[in-house]
Amino acid sequence: MMPDDPIKAQTQNLVQELRRGVIVLAVLSQLHEEQYGYSLMKCLEEQHMQIDQGTLYPLLRRLEEQSLLESDWRVEESRPRRYYRLSSFGEKVLEEMAKEWSILKNTVDELLF
Amino acid sequence: MKLINLYLDEVGRHLIAKNREDILKEIQSTLMDTIEDRNPHPGQGPDEELVKSVLQEFGAPRKVAHQYTEHSYLIGPRFFPLYLQILKIVLIVIAALNMLGLIMTIINPSGVGNNLLEALAQIMGGLFSSLFTGFGVVTLVFAGIERTTPEAWKVKVEQQWNPDDLLAQEDRKTIKVIELAVEITFTMIFIVLLNFFLDRIGIYYLTETGWVSAPILNDNFLRYVPWLTAANVLSIILNLFLIRQGYWDKRATIAKLLINALTIAINLAILIGPEVITISPSAWQKLNFDIGATAQEVSRGMNIGLDVLMGLSIFGLIVESIKRIYETFIKGSHTRIEIESE
Repeated sequence: MMPDDPIKAQTQNLVQELRRGVIVLAVLSQLHEEQYGYSLMKCLEEQHMQIDQGTLYPLLRRLEEQSLLESDWRVEESRPRRYYRLSSFGEKVLEEMAKEWSILKNTVDELLF
Repeated sequence: MKLINLYLDEVGRHLIAKNREDILKEIQSTLMDTIEDRNPHPGQGPDEELVKSVLQEFGAPRKVAHQYTEHSYLIGPRFFPLYLQILKIVLIVIAALNMLGLIMTIINPSGVGNNLLEALAQIMGGLFSSLFTGFGVVTLVFAGIERTTPEAWKVKVEQQWNPDDLLAQEDRKTIKVIELAVEITFTMIFIVLLNFFLDRIGIYYLTETGWVSAPILNDNFLRYVPWLTAANVLSIILNLFLIRQGYWDKRATIAKLLINALTIAINLAILIGPEVITISPSAWQKLNFDIGATAQEVSRGMNIGLDVLMGLSIFGLIVESIKRIYETFIKGSHTRIEIESE
């Protein structure tokens, strides 16, 4: 019989890879309303979508560079915070992506079950 | 706060200048939010252990900075195979040129004074430094190409590939890159000899002061030097192009035919033109060969020999040209240059 650990380890690796693919979708989905980095992370965490800080912040910057997000700095509680929200371009892209995700999800479900 | 500032300084050192301030400001803001959120005594300053654990979780400064910078290659995966190919050729050519220098020193030690060993050591040292220089120059050139070529262009080149290319290359005959590299090396050696050491092509004899050379090519030969140089430089350019492209196509074939035509014309001019070899009677005397021929007779003999060589060369070039025309225009196959992989 195969030991349990290698199966778990390999599964973990592949699941991580799978999650990497959907992180963008998850992040965009939570930015219809503006959020700063930490609050976004908490919000995703509460919905069981844990994203490493080292992944999230650079990702937010990249999405902004791609014009999917907009951001501005604001001083709150004597601390500057950067607030991110979807741009109108980002809204449209997210809408399309949601449709694609739905198709993909159904396809994979059909393949699997 | 001190720890956080030190941490930010460290991250900043690994970030590129662009956006550095902004990224650090954002990291600081996030760290403060995290610490505040986890502080068991809100309103009071966080204790050092908490700050440390948050920093630990955030990650090593270098790693954090790295996540903000795009992967940058000195030479990216698209150019790397070509880089290795060119590097191999350049290093072979440099080694071969140095070996030629070594052989010339052994054959003709008169030019290097009395200490042959010292001269050899110098050549070996020169070999290593020129190999390193070659390596450095090729790497720098490719790094430059990597930096200046727009990403879109790199992708476009890949997209231009067409499955029909496979059919066109079917039934291909392979030429090894190494053969082209050797050809380039010898062509370069020939150009160097022709332009800088023409007087060294001659008869060598020992006198009391050491080895002396008497050139055998006379002034009649000089008029051919620029033409021979041009034909050989063009030939090197074509070979480099072939290595780059990987196969013979119509353009390369036409270029090859033009170069061959030029070489045939030069060879023909040497063949029908005035004699180009003259052996100096005094040198011939010094050699003291035990044959009853005068320097003049030997010169004539050598000129006839050279003419035969030129004739054979013309014949060879014509055969090669016909073969090339057949391969490209009649058979229509692209001759593939095989990239050797170790």
